[in-house]
Amino acid sequence: MTPKKAKSPKQVLIRFGDMRVGKNSDRSKRTPTVRKIKSAIVPVDRFKVPAGGRPRVETGGAAVANLGAPNVVTPTLAERAALDRIDLTVDIAPERGLLLTNPILVASGTFGYGVEYGEVVDVQRIGAICCKGTTLKPRAGNPPPRVTETPGGMLNSIGLQNPGVDAVIDKYGPIWRGWKVPVIVNVAGESIDDYVEVARRLDGVPGVAGIELNISCPNVGKGGLQFAIDRDAARAVTAAVRRATDLPLLVKLSPNVADVRPIAKAIEEAGADAICAINTLSGLAVSPDRTRALLGNTYGGLSGPAIKPVALRIVYEVAQVVSIPIVAIGGVTSLDDVLDFLACGAVAVQVGTAIFADPELPVRLGDELRAECLRRGLASYKPLIGTALPKRTGAPSAKGAEYRP
Amino acid sequence: MTMRLVAAELVDSRQILPGQWLQSFHAPELATGSRAGQFVHVRTGDYSGLVLRRPFSINTADPATGIITLHFRTVGRGTEWLTRVREGERLDMLGPLGRPFEVDPRSRHLLLIAGGLGMAGVRMLADEALRDGRQVTILFGALSAGHVYPSSLLPDEVEYVVATDDGSLGHHGLVTELVPDYEAWADQAFACGPHPMLARLAQLATGRRERLGVAKLGRKRGAGRADPLGSPAARRKAFLQVSMEQTMGCAVGACLGCTVIGVEGPLRVCREGPVFAAEEIAWPAL
Repeated sequence: MTPKKAKSPKQVLIRFGDMRVGKNSDRSKRTPTVRKIKSAIVPVDRFKVPAGGRPRVETGGAAVANLGAPNVVTPTLAERAALDRIDLTVDIAPERGLLLTNPILVASGTFGYGVEYGEVVDVQRIGAICCKGTTLKPRAGNPPPRVTETPGGMLNSIGLQNPGVDAVIDKYGPIWRGWKVPVIVNVAGESIDDYVEVARRLDGVPGVAGIELNISCPNVGKGGLQFAIDRDAARAVTAAVRRATDLPLLVKLSPNVADVRPIAKAIEEAGADAICAINTLSGLAVSPDRTRALLGNTYGGLSGPAIKPVALRIVYEVAQVVSIPIVAIGGVTSLDDVLDFLACGAVAVQVGTAIFADPELPVRLGDELRAECLRRGLASYKPLIGTALPKRTGAPSAKGAEYRP
Repeated sequence: MTMRLVAAELVDSRQILPGQWLQSFHAPELATGSRAGQFVHVRTGDYSGLVLRRPFSINTADPATGIITLHFRTVGRGTEWLTRVREGERLDMLGPLGRPFEVDPRSRHLLLIAGGLGMAGVRMLADEALRDGRQVTILFGALSAGHVYPSSLLPDEVEYVVATDDGSLGHHGLVTELVPDYEAWADQAFACGPHPMLARLAQLATGRRERLGVAKLGRKRGAGRADPLGSPAARRKAFLQVSMEQTMGCAVGACLGCTVIGVEGPLRVCREGPVFAAEEIAWPAL
């Protein structure tokens, strides 16, 4: 990539007294590259930066973009064999069977239908894909703008834009069918009948491995009350879908409730195979001129690292009242986050917002979890699950909720 | 070229206008594979605070040197972080993304219309058009003389016409007021800028079509059978193409965050755009 081959940096070390100057730190040898570029842009005196140069703020490590995974070292053959022996498989729907090759999933709405990132991500190495929310009829979604960044997170109000369940089956079913990675279809609706009908149409479709119910939708028949905040509605919709399909059924909890445990319990009793926690937190952003709400739909759902403590708290609480698997979602950006959620009782985690910045993260987290197991001498990651839960047997404790700000 | 993740090394960074920066990156994969109108999605360094990448139009791309430039204004924490990146540091870029401008092979005269930072959206098209032997006129609108994109950063062959809101340089008024003088000369027009400017241009383009309907390109072949709206063929025949802006999440079409309202429903700026034929967009009534 050097413009002039003759002027390429020498491969020798130059010794200046005690100072060694390597080929990469020899600034003078870099000059031709820099000159070439400056002439290509044509410097203009009028627009030159004022004397003193542009401000150089020391930002430390934060200034350097984290490229790839600096911590991952290429393993030796023996290490690779040991890594391959580590069991990351998990069945997140033990009664019906939804076996994943690893416990790192991608969250609904952040990975489209699995094809969008195909060119930069090896989707087959992800544990499972939760596809974009799917409804019975096509939906155009909310007016723009639909997303905005917030401190440590983002707000979105897409409004369930999707082509409808039939179009999704026609368009993506044949693609998913050929994939090794299970695809879990996220289902949303405005009435119990909507959910049931979508589930019925998905039942038996090759390539559909399971259903994730997004119950944070307004129940139009009941005055717009969300299914997820009403224990009876959550129970009813879960039970109705359970009767309509034999597909593994995951139900996604909303954090926008006073106490999530009765709702989780109701969902378990209604026959869900697993619980996903959590959906986004309801939030708001204001337009720059402060004359209206920023997002086209006024409210948005908060996601990203900012919500991780909330997600941890809810996973921790739910893990103590249900016995079905919990799939954690909320601000996962690193292996530490994965381990935190596992320690609080989740058997698997979904990566969401972090994919936008780092599309390769879900695949890398699987590798890092494997390496972590090897480092700890574990044959499986299962011993990492639930280690932070209160050490007691018998009746589920209410201790988790003693502190309520 | 398909999109990929690229480590782009910053080789030059300068403030060309108050608050506006021009940065050069060594990224041969992007410099050779991208076309005018496409963009890159740049990851900012501090992930804990800034969770989204930032999309930037590719301002220029030089395959010979492997250099791409980005032109941006500091509007928030992400762009401020970018101005502090030092030469030699590498940034994680996803690109090239989006669909490019579609120039009809028969178009000889291209009219480029840019408002403020919209120059970044059409700048590369000037290079491409000149390379293909077309004539290019750029109409540029800014607040005042101090905000006018320096002509020295444009190719010499370009005719550069400036309008300023306060009249301190060139035409006193909006850049859209210059367009009627050129619309008969132009075979196609390409625009990037604030939404009201684009909406006004779309209105002008509709009026032009009504007046000069006979000059509609691509009439001979398969008369009556129109290309589907949004297809490259349909865009090539459109008189006006606009590069749109919207806050963006994934930039690959997965999150549906960056939509604009089109006549046939929501359109993703990152996938169907950022370049659209003016007919595809449902413009607000002016």
